[in-house]
Amino acid sequence: MNAVSKRNKWLMSIIFAIVGFMAAIQFQTASSEPEFRDTRDQWEVRQELQEQQKVQQELLEQITRADRMLEEYDEVSDEEKLETLKESIEQLEQQAGLTTLEGSGITIKLEPIFQEWEEGAPAYPTVSPSLLTHLINELNTFGSEGIAVGEERLVSISPIRNVNGDTYVNNRPMQPLPVVIKVLTSNPQKMLDYVNASRSRDMFALDDISMVVEAENNLKLPGYEDSLQLGILEFDSSKETGEN
Amino acid sequence: MWLPIAFLLVGIILGLLTDIRVPDAYTDYLTIAVLAAFDTLLGGIRAQLEKKFDDIVFLTGFFSNVALAALLAFLGVQLGIDLYLAAVFAFGVRLFQNIAIIRRHLITNLRNSNKLKKNTGK
Repeated sequence: MNAVSKRNKWLMSIIFAIVGFMAAIQFQTASSEPEFRDTRDQWEVRQELQEQQKVQQELLEQITRADRMLEEYDEVSDEEKLETLKESIEQLEQQAGLTTLEGSGITIKLEPIFQEWEEGAPAYPTVSPSLLTHLINELNTFGSEGIAVGEERLVSISPIRNVNGDTYVNNRPMQPLPVVIKVLTSNPQKMLDYVNASRSRDMFALDDISMVVEAENNLKLPGYEDSLQLGILEFDSSKETGEN
Repeated sequence: MWLPIAFLLVGIILGLLTDIRVPDAYTDYLTIAVLAAFDTLLGGIRAQLEKKFDDIVFLTGFFSNVALAALLAFLGVQLGIDLYLAAVFAFGVRLFQNIAIIRRHLITNLRNSNKLKKNTGK
């Protein structure tokens, strides 16, 4: 009897140990969160660090500029204060695209390609909004300082839409082809090469539109004419990184 | 009585130290296996208190319950039915029953020993 109960005891103990083991593993599995593994190597981390340092540098420069402006306001007389205020307004308007801009840049002339079709006459080609948006996005990535489609200056809130089959820019219908897109940039030759090598050319060609790109030293962009409606914009101080 | 508890602690510590994690796909199986193990354990304690403990029954009960529960979960996954819920339910109910019975046994044991003490004290 004694031997049997002793054996039972050991049996129970081992089963208990198994149960404890299972429960512990279950606990660990249940409480473990899907971990986020940082798989970047040293080089990538260094690059990230460099980027962040650049951001920091920019922020510091911004602070310095703002401080200087503040000092100017503090030091000078009322008249000069007004002058500084006007200056900053002008500067901001220029940044927002409300003023005319002059400088070097390129012009992109969009022209219809006429081909001989076997059956029937083809429709007159039109620029679709998505195509135009794509081109403008590309121009912006290439480093444009200002873009005007025809006489419509594009600002950061300029809409490009399809309204009843017509392409509208800045809520006004785009003129039919040919259309000249003016792009202001400090390095026209580089921009010219970029545009010549871009995929937009092929995409426009698919729509029977050719792109004629020319560099120009004296280009004049019209200002944005409508009032900027910024009522729907919200200021997010945590994400604000300043002007580009 | 202390030996099983010591072993339980040893098992838990071992489990925590080994840092094993079951993949997400198999968590259901483990859940149900743990439940089955608890059920068998409590059944064993209850049988011991009722003085009906049989080591063969206990051992086979433990392993077959765990295996059956896992099989049921597997079947459920294959059929697209949450069959493991049935096992969870069954084991859960039995767990509570066993705990209630164990509690009663302990209370009667306590009362009996108290009475015994009183009687011997007088």
